[in-house]
Amino acid sequence: MNEELDSQLSAMFDDELAPAECELLARRLSRDEQLKARWGRYAVIGAAIRAERGVRLNARVARRVKLIMSSEPALGAPQVARRAAMPRWWRPLAAAAVAASVATVSILWLRTQAPAPLTALTAPRAPLTGAVAANDAAGGPARAVRAASGKTDSYTVPPAPRGSGAVVPAAELASYVVAHSMFSQPVARGNLLSSFMANEAPAMASPAVAEPPQDPSRDAQIQTQ
Amino acid sequence: MSADASDLSLVRRVQRGDKGAFDALVLKYQHKLVKLVMRYVRNPAEAEDIAQEAFIKAYRALPQFRGDSAFYTWLYRIAINTAKNAVVSRDRSPIEYSVDRSSDESYDMQGRMKDAETPEGLVLTDEIRSIVNAAIDALPEDLRTAIVLRELEGLSYEEIAAAMDCPVGTVRSRIFRAREAIDRRLREVFEGGLGRAEELG
Repeated sequence: MNEELDSQLSAMFDDELAPAECELLARRLSRDEQLKARWGRYAVIGAAIRAERGVRLNARVARRVKLIMSSEPALGAPQVARRAAMPRWWRPLAAAAVAASVATVSILWLRTQAPAPLTALTAPRAPLTGAVAANDAAGGPARAVRAASGKTDSYTVPPAPRGSGAVVPAAELASYVVAHSMFSQPVARGNLLSSFMANEAPAMASPAVAEPPQDPSRDAQIQTQ
Repeated sequence: MSADASDLSLVRRVQRGDKGAFDALVLKYQHKLVKLVMRYVRNPAEAEDIAQEAFIKAYRALPQFRGDSAFYTWLYRIAINTAKNAVVSRDRSPIEYSVDRSSDESYDMQGRMKDAETPEGLVLTDEIRSIVNAAIDALPEDLRTAIVLRELEGLSYEEIAAAMDCPVGTVRSRIFRAREAIDRRLREVFEGGLGRAEELG
């Protein structure tokens, strides 16, 4: 063993070695088991001079710590540098940002999964189909008709085929309304029938005519019946 | 000379992933830490357990150690807190320790019986102490004074130089030579047929 090295080790043990020399010797000390053993004996000599209790040349504490340390992960430089570079206040903010992002994505996803809005019930074809939907909800004959035709039930008004002004021909619907007149007010029934009569002629004349003109007031009137 | 430079250089190495440097820190401070913990617990075996736990806690917390205080001051605080917690938890449950010792092959009842305060442990402690004291007595006066001022009184090299009226370099040399003489004597005894060679590590 080099005497100068041992002298440096003794001075380093006493914190009396220059920092630059400490760096070099610390590197060697961490790898050289003989040097480390000598270092440990220096500690024992000091403890024995101070008459400390329980002094052993190879104390179990160091042996057991070394054993546990063998299963501990080494502290890496990148980890240390990253932790030192990132201020502590930044961590809760980063966590909050992640939580907000997750919440936003969840809300957007839930919106795409939600059922169609209720406004579909007042679609342009509502003047006629509103009554059908009301009747359907009550388990009326419209449901039986659709069941017979193999169409599935829906909580919304089924779309009318393009080019047709009404879901059901006006005459049939007028008959249906008359047959069920006991459930409606006479004035409203009269308005409805006159509306059918007015719409029937152009619908029969040009089946390709687009959807009937919207009349919000009439929609409201039918919905209230 | 910056105080704690040696510890700091070892700590930096550990922080860069060098576990061997942590061994050196444990070897240097294990006796001090056990002595410190003995203020809180009377049983030396328990003090060793707590010191061991404190070292492991310190290792895991080293990434947060910035060197604002001396390493030993920081380690001292960890050990005190660990000892206080151990005392509280022992009062609740007499045999609870948070460190897993299942992997320690040397840790068994027989090992516990070999603790420092057991008859065998006391013999060993006394044996080491008597060898060290005999070696110190055999030292030349200037070496003996230097090592005693350093280890017993805790003086710095500069303070010892002032007390002994000699250069700091001479103090460094005297302390080193004193340690070497004591160490040589220890190795002679323990490697010379007392059957305790394993104690030399």
